Amino acid sequence: MKRNTIVIGVTLLILAACAWAGWANWEYRKHAAEVALASASHAELMPVAPGNLPPEVAPLIGKPAPNFTLPDLGGNQVSLSAFKGKPLLINFWATWCGPCKIETPWLVELQNEYAPKGLQIVGISSEGDDLKPDDAEGWAHDKAAIAKFVKQEHMQYPVLINGDSLAVQYGGLEAMPTSFYVNAEGKIVAIQLGISSKEDMEANIAKALGAGK
Amino acid sequence: MMEKWFRSPSLAVLAGLTIASAIAVCQEPLSSPAHQSLVKTEAVEYLFPEQVTLAAGKPSPVALHFRIKQNLHINSHAPRAEYLIPTVFSIPEASGVRLAGATYPAGTDFTLPADPDEKLSVYTGEFTIQAKMIAVQGEHLVEARLRYQACDQNECLPPKTITVPIDVIGK
Repeated sequence: MKRNTIVIGVTLLILAACAWAGWANWEYRKHAAEVALASASHAELMPVAPGNLPPEVAPLIGKPAPNFTLPDLGGNQVSLSAFKGKPLLINFWATWCGPCKIETPWLVELQNEYAPKGLQIVGISSEGDDLKPDDAEGWAHDKAAIAKFVKQEHMQYPVLINGDSLAVQYGGLEAMPTSFYVNAEGKIVAIQLGISSKEDMEANIAKALGAGK
Repeated sequence: MMEKWFRSPSLAVLAGLTIASAIAVCQEPLSSPAHQSLVKTEAVEYLFPEQVTLAAGKPSPVALHFRIKQNLHINSHAPRAEYLIPTVFSIPEASGVRLAGATYPAGTDFTLPADPDEKLSVYTGEFTIQAKMIAVQGEHLVEARLRYQACDQNECLPPKTITVPIDVIGK
């Protein structure tokens, strides 16, 4: 009788523990679901710290800049290989992008300041409108907007169009501006996603120049 | 029978271990959260209404509710700079419903940290467009559109057009 009482008591205790475990597990999963939901509705385009690049672009560091041939506003085809041996700042931008508008005067100044050291800035417009090759009206509209931007901002460095076609090679190009710093050996030494500061850009330019010395 | 089982020490130990294992299983989450890849979601989500009933042939007001993801903003319908892409609601032709007009909310002032002097006119959080629709009699599954361009404080996403599905009943 005494043994039965003990066994029943222990069983009830275990059942109570199991019930508590189930409740605790339910609470845990409820909390995890709330965190996941909050995370899903939170969509900040995070400024990326050096060395903390997203997986789409991080593997490009240390690799040769992917080659390309794109038209400029005059219709001339320009290849990356045309800049062989020069440290480069390849800046992807768009006419509708506010941070690009802020950043462009810095680029104009940096081109002037660092040209004597060999730096070449190349702007590549990426309008993100996925125009088809035969959409003459769409391309004409884009070109007019780009030409206007280039004139207004006094962009004295080469500006190419249809950067969207390089999205796969250059890590997605999901947001503008995005800059790739390339040393004289043609390797990507730094990547900047989003606007930062002119000082940060100069630090990355120093990396691009340093490898070429 | 039960008494006989519990008189056997090995069976009692086995039963105890089984119950202990059950407790351990209870404590374990049913599925551990796997590594979640970055899910590309729309910056703007259409909230409601899913269905409206309008007087056929007459301009009728419909309030369309949208939500912008946290930490993002989109240009208002009247951005201050010409180069910025405005938010625009539209209804395709031949959908049985015509957009007679739309009243957009005023944008709120917003400045980017890199340029505190320039004030942008943007929408953040939830916003409502007051549309006036004229429906032909009958039920129409309208795929209206909202075009916008979203940014956060440092970078911008390409312009986007999302579908705004509304079941419009003209009576």
